[in-house]
Amino acid sequence: MEEKRHTSLHYDKELQAIKDGLIFLGALTEKAIQQAMTALAQRNSDLARQVIQEDDEIDRLDTELEERCIKILALRQPAAIDLRFITTAIKITGHLERIGDMAVNIAEKVLQLNDEPQLKPYIDLPRMTDRVGAMIRDSLDSFIRGDLALAENVRQTEQVIDDLNEQIFRELLTFMMEDSKSIRRSLLIMQVSKNMERIADHAKGIADMVTYMVTGESVRHQTSSLHE
Amino acid sequence: MKRSLFLKIFFSYLVILFCSFFILNIFIKDEIREVMTGKIEAELLTEAELIDLGSARAMSEQMSQIAKISGARVTLVDAKGQVFADSEKDIAKLENHFHRPEIQEARLKGKGRSTRFSQSLGVEMLYVAIPIKDRKQAAGYVRLARPLHDVQKMIDTVYSSIFLTMMIVSVVSLIVALFISYKLARPIRMLEHFTERLRQGEPRGSILLKTSDETKTLADNINYLVEELQSKIRLANEEKSKLMTALTSINEGVLILNTEGKIELVSPSLAHIVADQFGDVGGKTLMEAFRNVELQRLYQRFKHSPETAAGEITLGSPDPVIMNVSFSEVHGYPGEEKDMIVFHDVTRLKKLERIRTDFVANVTHEIRTPLTAVIGYLETLQSGALENTEDARRFIDIILKQARRLNRLVEDLMTISKIELGEIHFRFEDVSLPDVIAGVLPLVEAKAQAKKIRIENGLPEKTPPVSADRDRLSQVFVNVLDNAVKFTPESGRVTIDAEEKDGYVVATIEDTGAGIPREEIQRLGERFYRVDKTRSRELGGTGLGLSIVKHLMLAHGGKMEIESQLGRGTKVSLFFPMRKR
Repeated sequence: MEEKRHTSLHYDKELQAIKDGLIFLGALTEKAIQQAMTALAQRNSDLARQVIQEDDEIDRLDTELEERCIKILALRQPAAIDLRFITTAIKITGHLERIGDMAVNIAEKVLQLNDEPQLKPYIDLPRMTDRVGAMIRDSLDSFIRGDLALAENVRQTEQVIDDLNEQIFRELLTFMMEDSKSIRRSLLIMQVSKNMERIADHAKGIADMVTYMVTGESVRHQTSSLHE
Repeated sequence: MKRSLFLKIFFSYLVILFCSFFILNIFIKDEIREVMTGKIEAELLTEAELIDLGSARAMSEQMSQIAKISGARVTLVDAKGQVFADSEKDIAKLENHFHRPEIQEARLKGKGRSTRFSQSLGVEMLYVAIPIKDRKQAAGYVRLARPLHDVQKMIDTVYSSIFLTMMIVSVVSLIVALFISYKLARPIRMLEHFTERLRQGEPRGSILLKTSDETKTLADNINYLVEELQSKIRLANEEKSKLMTALTSINEGVLILNTEGKIELVSPSLAHIVADQFGDVGGKTLMEAFRNVELQRLYQRFKHSPETAAGEITLGSPDPVIMNVSFSEVHGYPGEEKDMIVFHDVTRLKKLERIRTDFVANVTHEIRTPLTAVIGYLETLQSGALENTEDARRFIDIILKQARRLNRLVEDLMTISKIELGEIHFRFEDVSLPDVIAGVLPLVEAKAQAKKIRIENGLPEKTPPVSADRDRLSQVFVNVLDNAVKFTPESGRVTIDAEEKDGYVVATIEDTGAGIPREEIQRLGERFYRVDKTRSRELGGTGLGLSIVKHLMLAHGGKMEIESQLGRGTKVSLFFPMRKR
């Protein structure tokens, strides 16, 4: 995609703008997740509230990007790889917007958690945060470069996140069994973990779309059935 | 090139040659034929006249003789055209000759000639006839005929010599063409070689031609152009190296975006900073390369209102770099406006700023804690505790203890700031380490005995003296030994030793204390940095001890190194530079 150029320079610029917009949106959502998890670790309610506020920008960007894609579809009538690029871009913005919402969900749980004393120091969740952040980055990287290997890598990591989520669940179960007062907090932390796991799912969804964009073959439902 | 030039010259010669021979051929062929035929005709006429001299009978007799001499066929025809004598043929078989063109011509004009193909002989013949002038009236005609073999033979001879000439001239022209083409091609070929070298990117030297024609001018022009090109290239290179030197030598990173918003140039300093995390950023858009939200926001704001925009961004996640970025437009040709972003690394500055604010916060905190205690107990005393002598005494003890701690803190702070400002005057002299240790040990021994800690002084008596300020050196050892005793549990051991190593006298103080986590060792020299915050304060530390040691060691031209294993103990090594003898 990079090497070939369209006769219309303006068309190239429009496609590049969509690419940049997607990376920007990706960076924003990644930042939202990081901030939400930092808010959790540092018990910083102001940061959590900031995440909730900044989601408006993610939503706005999502709509704006989608409109731009539709405009290109209508005016340029792209074919082949360009068509797949645009349709993929539309799907990816959807995924990113949902990731933003999950970050908001986490931030809301953090606000509730901060009302009570800390249950336990977080070990697996920061690890999860790093992995999930990398997944979003890699999935977008694979989209920009059309890198199939990287997309596959993202799909592999999703399994790791699932395992981490399971582990957190088991650990919290022991807390709940020991002390009934910890149940509320445990459940909140579990929801945070679950949200992270769903973010990983969305990152995998982006990776699947990238594979479709490059090869023209849909892999969405083959691999997901394996994981369930 | 030489070959084709030679062929061109040679072929043009050949064309000229052939044209001239063709035209010559057209003129010469008819000329020769005419001259030759005329000559034969004249001969035949003369012979006919000779035959005509005699009488008819004599004619018949002479006829065969004349025919033999002249090689011609002689025919006598009467007035009616009847042949009555012939030198070669039987007259009976010959038909009437009256209507032959030469006879008719002779009858009308007095002599006749004709050239035609003889049926009877099968060759081209020339016929000449004159009337027989007998008794004033035409009694008949004498006709002589001769084949035209000779004429053709003559023409052939001429032609063969012409052909020979042509061959010779061709060979000569070949040689001349070779010579000329060689002469012509040599300078051209040299120019060709020279320009070919230029094309392969070797624009140096000039070309020297010994000719004086147009090629010389051409060579001069090429030389001039090469020189011009060289100076242009040199100029461009100079400009480029100037620019790169400027970009390399300044601390700021410079990045240039082209009209399409893609990164066109990254200065080496910036490339060095970003290479680890972002790889090669050339050719990508700002967003693709750095995927930084703040940077992109600043860029968009700059694009929206192109007054110079600036801001602060944090690049990279594991160990972030804080950058001050400012945008500006680069005015180029219309349609080639570029954007320049200047990155200023303020990570260190930010860190220093943080250390400063931390320091102020620490100092206030350290001072407030004893002050709060002092004020609290004083207030208690004021509100009646003074009457109870026993309580009052206890309170005053506490107040005194806290006040002493405050005093210690202030003294330590003053020491540090004095060292940092360079206001301490060191009196360097040869100091014997065992002497200093001996002077210091009594100060910590009381504390050590209380905790049943054994202090082993393994310092060799022969330890070479070091150049130091005795009082400051004592302070260093007091601080380190105090720390060692403080953080070693009961019945532990503190060992003092010294050795010579790599040009240093190294004094080591090793304890069997709690040890320090690896990642914290780095920060030990920082002011108010404590590994175990609550315990250290309980033990009456100010958090400045090791910081002072670090600074004093640096002032002595030495250094402090700490090795530690958790749960095993800590080893502090003090390096003093060896005195030069």
